[in-house]
Amino acid sequence: MLTAVNERREAKNNSVARDPAVALLRTIDLTKSYITRSGDSLFALKATSLALEDGEFVSVVGPSGCGKSTLMMLIAGIIPRSEGEIIYRGHAVTRAQRGMGVVFQSPVLLPWSTVMENVLLPIRVLGGDRAAATARAEQLLSTVGLQGFEHKYPSELSGGMQQRVSIARSLIHDPGLLLMDEPFGALDALTRERMSLELQNIWLANRKTVFFITHSILEAVFLSDRVLVMSARPGCIIREFRIPFVRPRDFDLSTTKEFGAYVGEIRHLLGAKVDA
Amino acid sequence: MRKQGRFKISYNWTWTLASAVLALALWQISVTMFQLPPYVLPKPSAVWTALIAGLTASPSSRSSFWFQLADTLEGTLYGFLIAAALGISLAALMSEYRVVRRLLFPYVVWLQSLPKIAIAPLFVIWFGYATLSKVAMATTITLFPVLLNSLEGFAVVERDRLQLMKSLDASRWQTFWMIKLPSAMPFIFAGLNLGIVYALLGTLLAEFLGSQRGIGVVITQLESVSDTAGIFAILVVLAVVSYLLIAFMRALQQHFVFWSGSEQTVDVDVTPPRKRRRGRSGS
Repeated sequence: MLTAVNERREAKNNSVARDPAVALLRTIDLTKSYITRSGDSLFALKATSLALEDGEFVSVVGPSGCGKSTLMMLIAGIIPRSEGEIIYRGHAVTRAQRGMGVVFQSPVLLPWSTVMENVLLPIRVLGGDRAAATARAEQLLSTVGLQGFEHKYPSELSGGMQQRVSIARSLIHDPGLLLMDEPFGALDALTRERMSLELQNIWLANRKTVFFITHSILEAVFLSDRVLVMSARPGCIIREFRIPFVRPRDFDLSTTKEFGAYVGEIRHLLGAKVDA
Repeated sequence: MRKQGRFKISYNWTWTLASAVLALALWQISVTMFQLPPYVLPKPSAVWTALIAGLTASPSSRSSFWFQLADTLEGTLYGFLIAAALGISLAALMSEYRVVRRLLFPYVVWLQSLPKIAIAPLFVIWFGYATLSKVAMATTITLFPVLLNSLEGFAVVERDRLQLMKSLDASRWQTFWMIKLPSAMPFIFAGLNLGIVYALLGTLLAEFLGSQRGIGVVITQLESVSDTAGIFAILVVLAVVSYLLIAFMRALQQHFVFWSGSEQTVDVDVTPPRKRRRGRSGS
């Protein structure tokens, strides 16, 4: 059944490839504003337009409070937008799509459910063949290095392991687009590096489109095909970098001059913006 | 995470026993020393005799504690079950539908501040001197702790969990059954733990006011003949019964909310510590 879904997606991909104007996801002048108590409009995100090609790994970096999380929440359909449009696979969408998987900053596992039950949550909600999903969950758990932990409870796992469970959960319904909101933000530096490598491996194996929010410039450059740089207040994308390094990348790459040049330029861009 | 600086409310059996022996000895000595009349303070031995008499009488006779207790427990359990079902359902509807919340909230505030005991005579008029009156009273005073705690539980569900369901485009009731209800369980149980004691209280109250059978009826009868030793014996029985009810609720809670180590609830644990169930790490 999953192969059928994959084939259908592949067919879709081909049509996308033939027509370069049709991206997997596009946002047009996406805006999120709040009305403050004094009656003013406060822009969390202002007129942001971007496009994600199928199979691309795109990161967004920006200072705290620049609206990068808001951007992801809007695309995921978790919060309603104020203005603008989101076009997914050629259709304007207004709510959460089953073709998307979301990883949050905290793992958001249900403490009363086992690891396996947690991974299967999207299937319980969206429906689908449970036996096939269970087999797939086992496979995903072994991909993220958690074979044998199926019947543990989240409280028995470390923070890094919990976040891996949540990555497995985000992939269980075979989404075409993976949205990740600072998924490694709560982890220690070493675990973080290891998770970056694992995410690269998962991405290389699946070639899902990944939209990755982070405040780590290093992480963004290391993982991405493209890095979008955001500025704060009002939040909007100020520049885009294409990162050309071949994959698989390893952390030796991060010590090279070329890598450092990207990191430096982005840091400079953000620093200048913060000072302004 | 256990809060720092909070002393553990629990006890061990050796100290409990020592404390009981000491209290009984002081009691017996003071009754003898001050020559208190038995209708003021009976000797522990007299209480013991009354207790044994009540417990060993034929279960079908009216002087048997078991016979009377069965009636009281019937009112307590029905009242509790109705209040639990009603309280949790109303809280669920109030948390899911703003209209329901707005319509019902004034009554909740009102009735909650009303001393429910004052309604009891009305129930006797409406439902008579039978079980129905007891169940009505038990339900009425049990409802509020269950309802309010459940409401609180549904209100404080972690936003992340709701966003996760939103990202899956889950329906209202999928979110309710999969996330909100389990998340609220520690609070619901806090309400139910209070509720079980309240249900017993409500039943006894209805029995005091007018009933044909039940522990509360026995107390009023003993009072009319100044049988203080008998009343003390009944109090012992009630203490054991309510302890067992609470312990039963605790066991249920441990079973259903084994995962909650850190969730803040509002009741105080007075049952002896019990082996923690799977999955509850101290972190």
